[in-house]
Amino acid sequence: MSIEISNISKTFDSFKALNDINLHIQTGELVALLGPSGSGKTTLLRIIAGLETADQGSIIFDGEDNTGKSTQDRKVGFVFQHYALFKHMTVFENIAFGLRVRPSKLRPGKEAIKKKVHELLGLVKMEELANRYPAQLSGGQRQRIALARALAVEPKVLLLDEPFGALDAKVRKDLRRWLRKLHDEYPITSVFVTHDQEEALDVADRVVILNQGKIEQIGTPEEVYDNPANPFVYNFLGNVNLFHGRVHNGKVELGSFKSSPDNNDQGRDIVSYTRPHDIEIKLEPEGKEFIGSQITFIRAVGPVVKIELVRLDNGEYIEAEISKETYRKLELKEKQTVYVRPRDFKVFIPEDYVI
Amino acid sequence: MAGSIPIQIKTAKTTPAERRAVKGSKIVPVILTAIAILFFILMLIVPLISVFAKAFEQGANLYFASITDPIAWKAIKLTLITIAITVPINTVFGLTAAWAIAKFKFKGKNVLITFIDLPFSISPVVAGLIFVLLFSTSHGLLAPLLNAWGLKIIFAPPGIILATLFVTLPFVAREIIPLMEAQGTTEEEAALTLGASGWKTFWLVTLPNIKWALLYGIMLTAARSAGEFGAVSVVSGHIRGLTNTVPLHVEILYNEYKFSAAFAVASLLTLIALINLIVKNVAHWKIKQQSKI
Amino acid sequence: MNLLIKPFKIKQKSVIPGFGITMGFSLTYLTLLVLIPVSMVFLNSAKIGPAEFWEIASSERVLASLKISFSTSFLAAVINVIFGLLLAWVLERYTFWGKKLIDGLIDLPFALPTAVAGISLTTLYSQNGWIGKLLAPLGIKVSYTPIGIVVALVFIGFPFVVRTVQPVLESIDLEVEEAAACLGATRFQTFYRVILPELLPALITGFALAFSRALGEYGSVVFISGNMPMKTEITPLLIRTKLEQYDYAGGTAVAAVMLIISFILLLLINIFQWWASNRHKVS
Repeated sequence: MSIEISNISKTFDSFKALNDINLHIQTGELVALLGPSGSGKTTLLRIIAGLETADQGSIIFDGEDNTGKSTQDRKVGFVFQHYALFKHMTVFENIAFGLRVRPSKLRPGKEAIKKKVHELLGLVKMEELANRYPAQLSGGQRQRIALARALAVEPKVLLLDEPFGALDAKVRKDLRRWLRKLHDEYPITSVFVTHDQEEALDVADRVVILNQGKIEQIGTPEEVYDNPANPFVYNFLGNVNLFHGRVHNGKVELGSFKSSPDNNDQGRDIVSYTRPHDIEIKLEPEGKEFIGSQITFIRAVGPVVKIELVRLDNGEYIEAEISKETYRKLELKEKQTVYVRPRDFKVFIPEDYVI
Repeated sequence: MAGSIPIQIKTAKTTPAERRAVKGSKIVPVILTAIAILFFILMLIVPLISVFAKAFEQGANLYFASITDPIAWKAIKLTLITIAITVPINTVFGLTAAWAIAKFKFKGKNVLITFIDLPFSISPVVAGLIFVLLFSTSHGLLAPLLNAWGLKIIFAPPGIILATLFVTLPFVAREIIPLMEAQGTTEEEAALTLGASGWKTFWLVTLPNIKWALLYGIMLTAARSAGEFGAVSVVSGHIRGLTNTVPLHVEILYNEYKFSAAFAVASLLTLIALINLIVKNVAHWKIKQQSKI
Repeated sequence: MNLLIKPFKIKQKSVIPGFGITMGFSLTYLTLLVLIPVSMVFLNSAKIGPAEFWEIASSERVLASLKISFSTSFLAAVINVIFGLLLAWVLERYTFWGKKLIDGLIDLPFALPTAVAGISLTTLYSQNGWIGKLLAPLGIKVSYTPIGIVVALVFIGFPFVVRTVQPVLESIDLEVEEAAACLGATRFQTFYRVILPELLPALITGFALAFSRALGEYGSVVFISGNMPMKTEITPLLIRTKLEQYDYAGGTAVAAVMLIISFILLLLINIFQWWASNRHKVS
């Protein structure tokens, strides 16, 4: 089922949680709503589910207007952040709940419910835990039961609020992979909320980046990572080094390499963004654009070596990541003076003007 | 009279007793514990035991004669009727008020809670008086109406029931509101997304979650309905066999120097109080288990 | 940020159903059973007229009863704070045999009908009672004196203090105490400088609850006090006496005074609790 979100706004007291959100989600897509806390991502998810009402705008499922519909009538599967499992019910009863509360005309028979629940227990690989209570399960197990419960009502849309937020790192990775696989096998239109960029980029078909109630960028993980639309997205999707500089005669000039300072009036302030792995380190300045810096810290754990440097010209901080191979070749040490240059960078002019 | 402090929702952690911060002198704890236990025994255990001791002072025969006395039975019957009426009404009120207060955000919530608490902070004598001022056939505001219809509320069972409704009004609400607030609304929201109706959500999700606190609230209401003295005493008129509840019967026996009989009947009320405490502790323990997730 | 002026709304929107019906029922029931009856006291007092109201309220017997009620309630509340704190401390911090039993029985005064407490305490403390017998040789009379009133009020009030202090004591992070100890504080200094300030709001709340409960108490006091006008007659009893003498105006006027005192206490407790729960919050 496709979801068409148009012109959605929502205000709590005087806090503008969502501001004119437009988003189209295609049938079978797995979309991540990514943003820092307070960005409105959970509110948007709750509005799609009908748990919250928007002040304006509409939610359309497959061409059918759902804006005024109650949660019960929307037929969405919702997985809550802290699972919201019914504590007094067993795993079996939790999963069966959505089927059992149907009006008697639409309610499947006892055997049918049992079959369905066991099918779902098989899907989440928890057949043997049917008679446990939520309190007797681990976090990851609870998460999977919450998912099975949401799937039991055969929703057209699956909504997940920070599905892995409360789990530890290891379980998180496993569940992530599992969710991806599940979605490949059962392509239900799914939307999940997360504040973890790695998670969003890893799992989703498309990522929607939200900030302060607005959409900053929509795109595939590659698109948003490689071509961030603005400084916020750039910052949010990974570590970044900033180089302040100016535009002059159409050329970008950074730091100490402002060649003609007397032409200031023509220049514009700019900020260039570079990922740590796009910083090149050389022992000698091999060109004008290399900046003298001193190494302050080296961490050589794992295949990637993390190096922190301080620019000699303006004292600004640079973070670089190089391969172990390069690191060994250069024989870098702390306190050593080296020359760096951004191999690749993206420039934003502080009026949101993108070159 | 009996106020109530709602069951505390505690989270499990190491108890301080298991984790002594500082090895202080060993004498201080012993002395403090001894004083506390002494105070406890003197203030609570001795009065408790004395009720039963006095009740059986003149032998078991008199004890059973006292509690099977026809007038005592009539008092017990009136008390049971009062319980049968007040408990369901105040349970429904407690549930509806708790639902509105705990599951929604609205302005004036604190004022509403204060109103619900009001009967706790009013002297039972005043609680009785207010119904006299409304329903007395001689001085009441509604006297003309009551006289025209030939209704008698004050110095009659309806007055007793009204006064009891008033003093027991907060119990159920006060027990379940904090618990329902602590539980939040996500389980209800989960039920709604799964297609459950509002009523089914309440019945299948909310109620099982609060059942122990609710049970204790109901128990408190029942015990208080059985034991209320001040308010009932003002509205009853002490008509033997007609408007006497069990506590009023105890008072009459006591004032007539029939001490053993008074304590015999009082021992019944004490038993109810003890059952009440057992229910409370079981409920407390159950809620603690629940909130451990 | 965009500030919007929104129409005044009583309730925020919610998907949970049933607000209208539950709120409607609760308000109706509260109005009929609590608000209208309680307002009768003020309505009838207004009918009396200010001059006569003042005359009743300031009569010697009423003033004497207020004095007795206030002084005994205050004394009982002070005793309850001391022993309530002690009991809460012992129950939370020490392990000893029978602790669970004591903890379970603390609420007995809430559960026990006041008339039962009244006759039991009176019998115990009368001159040939179990405890009265021991005190008589010392020349101490308890039953039928103000001391008896205090004993009854201590009985009905001490669970309030224990039950308000206990959870706070439990929630005090032991690491704070350990930190104090590491910094060189003695056990007593830790208690006095670290724990007591944390407990103070709960102690004051417990005091106020016990005090306000004691002021209105009737059932347990009426037996033990002896009810001598000017000496051991508490205010609730005076109201009752006036009603029995069909002095409805007098009873109502005294009740109005008591109600106003109750409301002020209730207000103070609420304001204080609000203050206590907000004082360390960042605004």
